[in-house]
Amino acid sequence: MAMRIVNIIGMGAVILMLCSAGTVTAGEQKYKRTVDRYTMPDVVLTDQNNRKVPLKDLIQSKTPLVVNLIFGSCTKICPILSAEYANLQDKLGGDPRKVHLVSITIDPENDTPKVMKEYLKRYHAQPGWDFLTGSRQDIDSVLKAFNAYIPNKISHYPLTLIRSPEDGTWIRLFGLLSSAEFIDECRKMGIQ
Amino acid sequence: MRKLLKFIAVPVTLAFVVLFSAALPMVQSASAEPPRSAQEQVKAGEQIYRNGILPSGQPMQAFVKGDVPVSGTAFSCASCHLRSGIGSVEGGVVTPPTNGELLFKPVQVYYKGTEQKFFPFPPRRAAYDEKSLAEAIRDGKNPDGVVLNDVMPRYQLGNEDMNILVSYLKTLSSQLPPGVTDSSIQFATVIAEDVPVDVRDAMLEPLQRYVDNKNSQAEFYKSPRGNRSRLMVEKMFTSKELSTRKLGLSQWVLKGSPETWRSQLEEYYRKEPVFALLGGVVNSEWQIIHRFSEENKIPCLMPQTDLPVISDTDWYTLYSSKGYYQEGEAAARYLNSRQDISPARPIVQIVRESREGKELSAGFTDTWRDLERREIVTVNLKGNETITNSFIERLLAEKKPAAVILWDGPDIKGALTFIAADKQKPELVFVSSRYLGKQILAVPEQARDITYVTYPYSFAQKVINSAMGKIAVEDESKFIINAKDFSVRDRVQNARLNSNSISQLVTMALMEMRGNYFRDYFLDVIGMAPDQTSPLFGRLSFGPGQRYASKGCYIVQITKGAEPEIVRKSPWVIN
Repeated sequence: MAMRIVNIIGMGAVILMLCSAGTVTAGEQKYKRTVDRYTMPDVVLTDQNNRKVPLKDLIQSKTPLVVNLIFGSCTKICPILSAEYANLQDKLGGDPRKVHLVSITIDPENDTPKVMKEYLKRYHAQPGWDFLTGSRQDIDSVLKAFNAYIPNKISHYPLTLIRSPEDGTWIRLFGLLSSAEFIDECRKMGIQ
Repeated sequence: MRKLLKFIAVPVTLAFVVLFSAALPMVQSASAEPPRSAQEQVKAGEQIYRNGILPSGQPMQAFVKGDVPVSGTAFSCASCHLRSGIGSVEGGVVTPPTNGELLFKPVQVYYKGTEQKFFPFPPRRAAYDEKSLAEAIRDGKNPDGVVLNDVMPRYQLGNEDMNILVSYLKTLSSQLPPGVTDSSIQFATVIAEDVPVDVRDAMLEPLQRYVDNKNSQAEFYKSPRGNRSRLMVEKMFTSKELSTRKLGLSQWVLKGSPETWRSQLEEYYRKEPVFALLGGVVNSEWQIIHRFSEENKIPCLMPQTDLPVISDTDWYTLYSSKGYYQEGEAAARYLNSRQDISPARPIVQIVRESREGKELSAGFTDTWRDLERREIVTVNLKGNETITNSFIERLLAEKKPAAVILWDGPDIKGALTFIAADKQKPELVFVSSRYLGKQILAVPEQARDITYVTYPYSFAQKVINSAMGKIAVEDESKFIINAKDFSVRDRVQNARLNSNSISQLVTMALMEMRGNYFRDYFLDVIGMAPDQTSPLFGRLSFGPGQRYASKGCYIVQITKGAEPEIVRKSPWVIN
């Protein structure tokens, strides 16, 4: 039995060493914050209502934009990111003019509009939170534009991006945030 | 109940963490209900663990990351600890086991065979008892008082609900299942006796080769030098537990009519329990074997069938794709994406009354309905009914359809010729490449400009360099290929390629399981596996709870002329 545990540890340790998201201890800031600029590809994605969404229109909107990269059957990181979105919507009183929350799937084959719609329902999403999918090629191009490309959904990591409508810069939040931290980051971008 | 671990790098290799924290108010639940039987108790615990639903019917409530409220419907114990309770690693977060076998024993940390008695972090911990386990679930502290990672939710569970959950955890993955011993893991493959020999052999050979290779590797190291060689093999295998076990592969041959198959399966299983079923092939639907697997909780990995059971909730059978159903889905999505097709004109579906026709039609109809499109007109064809010119003339004159979905095969030359020659001809006609089989290139010349073929296989591949060397991956930049380079798929070829993929998946899964040979964990591990490349489908991609590995389908057209080309009209994923 003990040997089995050691093996588990060994496996975890190796994965840890390959994964830059893991080295955090309790009490300190657990996420990494940077300010970046990204050039988005000219692609048209599809939302949970099967509507076509040109990515450029989304980016050029005057409404502050928050983007995370998730997939519908993820059981660990994505539910936390989605819970943060749901919580933020509650805090903002569900006003879609204050912020546009966007989740972009990293599993376009499984995340059809139907799957995405059910996912949003599970989180009691209000208007102003959209879930987008597309062809794998288009999704890959979006991930690459955000410097977040991964060849495999299972090797994903928690990433949230907040765009300032004023100067087009993005706050890149790498890691999982508490509700207070997330709301604070949004507030810094004028979302309140 | 998710324990999120964090890691701390220790100079050489080991590292870890688990933190929990924050206390939540404890909610006392009413206990006016009549006492549950032991079985009901386990069922209620399973419902909490897997679905986050309390016996009251309400979702569990919790906080994650300290202050983010989450509901059990979004976030249950099984999300991170997985259905088997063995835990997972995802996104830099490690979740430790919570199964009955391990929870109530201390977890020791060893390095190079020596116990690290002063290792200060999880997973090293004292054994849980019921009280300390409840404290971990509510307050996020392990038996040593170490605060667990705040990604582990702090659940607001009353005493009675907590007792139910803890009772369930005691039973969870607490004993190795039938088919697994200290020295063996037994598999079987199900084959109907009327399956053509070449198909059977193509399905079987890669599986048998995998089992033989694995067993011969272990045998190879059993030299007179005994232990030393054994140590060698243990170091070479990434899973030493696997090196000490021999794999077995039985053939469960089903005879006679399908109505008798279930009892034959039960009899095979009674005589020789197996850990899982690998591959398998029959000439009809897989449903009987599917139900057998589901009800006996026996995993079944990628049977060679294009007629799987379509279910969002069944757990034990993993299919390579949804087969015919998936082609129907793709046709509906493609048609929906064509903005140039008038929504005012009806869609006519001509469906052969066969299992293939039925599944194609179901895939199309279900998806069309989900897309909230108007009703379609469905015309059924009897098993041996021939499509005549007058039948087509009448149908087109009466309905004036924008598109005809022709779920028939393999010989549809006549029907396509009639449709193409009709003055009321539709803008598009859909046919299925699986149903056409080798007749896919026999689409008549005059019908090619309106005929769209659902093609659920890899279209073109390119070789790229990867960390594992050169691999072939789907080339989505390619839209046109010469017909002579086009892969006309057949059952023998598909069976061989499918079994090759099974061998790869089983190799990975058994290594990854590291002795935790629980059936649910086998499925959990495959659900967490990286995507596999596939010469047949381009990519095989499971995911947590996903049960169909290949989910896309192209729409292609065949150009006119003596040297036709195949033109891809859609991406693999159509929205």
